[in-house]
Amino acid sequence: MASEKITPSVNFSVLILFGLILLSLQLMSSAMQESSQLSAMYSWLLMFNALGSVVLLVLVGANIFSLVQHAKKREAGSRLTTRMVSLFVVLALAPAVIVFYFSMQFLHQGIDSWFNVEIDRAMEDALELSQASLDQRMRWHLKQTQQLTTKLEESSENAMMLEMENLRELAGATEMTLFSRQGRIISSSSVNPSDILPSLPDEHIWLQLRQNGEYVALTPIHDEELMVRVIVTVKTQEPKYLQVLYPVPVRIADLADSVEFAFVRYQEMSYLRDSLKMSFSLALSLVLLMSLLAAIWVAFISIRNITAPVKELVKGTKAVASGQYDQQLPVMAQDDLGFLVESFNDMTHRIAQARDETRKAGFEVENQRAYLETILANLTAGVISFDEDYKIRTANQAAYRIFRVHVNQFMGQSLLELVQNYSELAEPLKAIQRLLEQADDIWQQRIAFLGPNGRQELLCRGTPLFSQVGARVGAVVVFDDVTDLIQAQKNAAWGEVARRLAHEIKNPLTPIQLSAERLQHKLASKLEEADALILQRSTRTIVQQVEAMKEMVDDFSEYAKPSKKQTVDIDLSQLIQEVLALYALRSGVKFKAYYESGVQLINADPVSIRQVLHNLIKNALEAIGTEGLIEISLHRVQKNNTDFIEVALYDDGPGIKEEQIEKIFEPYVTTKAKGTGLGLAIVKKIIEEHGGAIWIDTARKVGAGFIIQLPACNVD
Amino acid sequence: MRVSKSNKYPSFLGWLIALLWLSTFSVYGAGFSAEVKQAEMKLQREDYLFSAVLVYHLSDKAKNALQNGVPLFWNVHFKLQQPHFMFLKSTLIDVVIRYRIQYHALLNMYRVRNEFNGEVYNFSTLPAALELMSVINDLEIIKKTDLDAKKTYFFYVKVDFDRDALPLPLRPIAYIDPQWYLSSDWTLWPLKK
Repeated sequence: MASEKITPSVNFSVLILFGLILLSLQLMSSAMQESSQLSAMYSWLLMFNALGSVVLLVLVGANIFSLVQHAKKREAGSRLTTRMVSLFVVLALAPAVIVFYFSMQFLHQGIDSWFNVEIDRAMEDALELSQASLDQRMRWHLKQTQQLTTKLEESSENAMMLEMENLRELAGATEMTLFSRQGRIISSSSVNPSDILPSLPDEHIWLQLRQNGEYVALTPIHDEELMVRVIVTVKTQEPKYLQVLYPVPVRIADLADSVEFAFVRYQEMSYLRDSLKMSFSLALSLVLLMSLLAAIWVAFISIRNITAPVKELVKGTKAVASGQYDQQLPVMAQDDLGFLVESFNDMTHRIAQARDETRKAGFEVENQRAYLETILANLTAGVISFDEDYKIRTANQAAYRIFRVHVNQFMGQSLLELVQNYSELAEPLKAIQRLLEQADDIWQQRIAFLGPNGRQELLCRGTPLFSQVGARVGAVVVFDDVTDLIQAQKNAAWGEVARRLAHEIKNPLTPIQLSAERLQHKLASKLEEADALILQRSTRTIVQQVEAMKEMVDDFSEYAKPSKKQTVDIDLSQLIQEVLALYALRSGVKFKAYYESGVQLINADPVSIRQVLHNLIKNALEAIGTEGLIEISLHRVQKNNTDFIEVALYDDGPGIKEEQIEKIFEPYVTTKAKGTGLGLAIVKKIIEEHGGAIWIDTARKVGAGFIIQLPACNVD
Repeated sequence: MRVSKSNKYPSFLGWLIALLWLSTFSVYGAGFSAEVKQAEMKLQREDYLFSAVLVYHLSDKAKNALQNGVPLFWNVHFKLQQPHFMFLKSTLIDVVIRYRIQYHALLNMYRVRNEFNGEVYNFSTLPAALELMSVINDLEIIKKTDLDAKKTYFFYVKVDFDRDALPLPLRPIAYIDPQWYLSSDWTLWPLKK
C-alpha cells in the first residue's frame, strides 16, 4: 500500500506559498499608501493577488470536486474528510465573515467620517475667501491701471513709450506692455531687464478683450509665480491696449496656494470617497479571500493527511472483512492514529497467523480424512456409517463389491429404502437395520443370503456411536464376505475327513478282503456244498463291499488331493471344443457353444480343468436324459480390476431344487440315484484351487446353470 | 495618410486588462478613446519634423475627475521603425511626449504641462486646454543623414492615457471601466522621403 506521508517538500511548499501570499498582501497594503514607491506597482500587485486568489480558488474547487467524487463513490475516508473540511470551513468562515463585516462597517464609517458638510462648507468658504481677496486686489489693480491709461491717453505715442518705465515703477508693476489694436507690441517695460519678450496674452484673452474692452485675471507666470494680468483699452485716436502684470504679494500667494492645495486635496478625496471605499473593500476582501482560500486549501491537505491513516484503516478493515488477512498498513506518524494503525497491523498479523494455523490444521484433518477414506476404500471389509436416524452417511468401495450396489448413491436414506430397489439384498439389509435399531452395544452376527454372486455369507459387526454426553449420534457397520472363508473351512474339513478315511478305513480293508478270500480258499473244500455256497456268497459280498469301500475311499482321496498339479497356459475355448467333441456323437442331445472372439487363455492344470468340464457335462447329460440342450458360453469379464474368463453352462433339465442349492457343492450331496455326490464338490475344489469361483445361476428359471470364473492370462 | 491600425505592442498586463475591459467595452466603450487624426513627417532642410493632429474624447467620469482636482496624463508615443524580413523590424526612434492636465480651482483654469519640454500653459476652458494637447507641430525627430534613402521606414503613433498615474483608489475602477479607456490604438504611417 502506497505511503502518503506529508513529505517535508510539501510542508516547505505550503510555507513558501503562505510566505508569498503574505508578502504580496503586505506589498499591496504598502502600495496603497500614496507616498509609497510601490504605488506604481499597485495594479500589478492587485492583479497578482487576484490571480493568486483565482489559483487558490481553482485549487480549492478541484479539491472540493475530488472530494465530492470520492464521496459519491463512497470511498474510504471520504465522509470523514467531508465532515472535517465542512467543520473547518464553517469554523473558519463564521468568524472571518463577522470580522469582515464589521471591518467593512468601520472602514466605510471611518472614511465617511472624514467628510461632512461643515468641512465642505469651510473648504469652499476658504477658497471663496481667497478668490474674494484676490478679486479685490484685481479690481484695485484694474482701477489703478485705468487711472494710468487716462494719463497715457493724453500723451502722444512717443511720449507713451517714454512714460512707460515711470508708470510701471509708479504702479509697482512687474511688467507693462503697450499693444497696438492688432496686438503688436508698441512698448514694453519690465522689472527684469533680461526679459526681452513680454508675456503675451493668448487668443482667448484677446477675444475677451475685444468684447469687453478690458481684461483682468490671475495668471501664473513662469509656471508657479502668480501675477495679476490687467489689460485695458487706451482710448487714443488709434485704440491701443495696455497690459500690466502686477505681482501678488508672496504672503497672499502662499496663503492662496495653501488654501487651493487643501481645497483641491479635499475635493479630490471627496470625489474619490466611493473609490476609496471600494479600493479598501477590494483589498480587504482580497486579503480575506486569499487567507480563507489558502487556509481551506491547506486544510484540505492537512485533513487528507490526517484522514489518510483512517482511510487506510477503512480499506484495511474492508480487506480483512473480505478475507485478506495479510494486510499491513504503513504507519504514517507516531501519534494516536499511528498507534491504531500499529494495533491494526498487529491484529491482522495475528489473524493471518491464526488463519494459517487453522488452514494447516484443516489440511492435516483433510489429509487424515483422505487417508482414512483411502484406508476405508481399500478395506476388503465393507464399512457403512449411519447417522442418529440410521440414514446412510458414508459407505466405502468394499460395500459396493460385496453388495454390488453403489451404497454411496443412497446417502441420507435408510437401508430399508435400499431394499425397495434391490430386493435380492432384502435379507441382509433388513437384518442389519434391525440389529442397528436394537443394539445398544457392539454386536456381531453372521448373515447368509442368496446374492447376485450366489450364496453369500456376511460377517457383520456393528458399533453404535455416542457423543461425549452419551447421546446416540449414529452407528457404523463393518461387514465382510466370508463365503469363501467358510467354504474353505468346509473344504479343509472335508479334506481332513477324506484323508482320515483313507488312512483309517482303506488300510483295514485289504486284510479284510484277503481274510475273506483266504476263508473262501481254505474252507470251501471242507464244507458241504450248501455251506460252501453260503460261504462263497458271503465272501464275494465282503470282497465286493470292500472294493466298493476302496472306491469310495479312493474318491475321497481324489477329492482331498490338490488338483493344481502342472499349470500351463490353456486356450479355454479350444479345451471346451475338445471336450464337447467327445460328447457330440450322443444322439438326442444338442450342444450350443458361444465363444467370444479371440484367445481365452487361463493358467491352469489342463487335466483338472478337463475333469471339471467332464463332471459338469456328465451331470447335465444325466439331468436331461436322452434328449435336451446343453449351452456353453465363454467370454471375458472384469471384476475388481481383474480379468476373468467366465464359462456359463446351462441345460434344460429339471433344474436344482432351491433347498439343494445351498449344499450342492458339498460332498455327498446328490440328486441322482447313482453317484458318490463328490462330482460337484471336486469341481468346486478344482475351480477354487485355480483362484476361480463357481456358483449356480439362480436367475435362470429353466434347467440348471453353472457359472465358472477363472483368472484370465494376458494374451500378449 | 493613415495606413493601418494593426500594429500593437501589448504587454502581459495589457492582455489581462484588455481581457477584463473587453467584457464591458462592447457595451459602453464607444466614443471615449483618443484618436490620431493626422500624422506626418516632413523633411525640412536636413531634419525630419514630426507633426500630428490628435483628438481627445473625455468621458463624463474623466471630466468629473478632472473637475475635482484629479490630474490626468496622456503619453503620445512616437516610434520610427525599419521593417526587415518577415515581421522583424528595428526601432530607430522611440519618443514619448507626456502631457499633464489639471484643473486649478483658485484660478478657475486648466493647466497643461508638456513634460517633454517643460512648458506650461493655462486655459480658462477645457477644450482650449485639449486643443493645445491635440497639436504637435514640427517636432524635430531625426536627421536625414541618419536614414538610408533606399530603405523604407514607418512610424507609429499612439495616444496612451496613463491610468497608472491616476490616484490609487481610482486605478482598479479605471482598469475595468471603459469610460477610463481614453487611449488610441497604434497607428502606422509611412515615411515620405
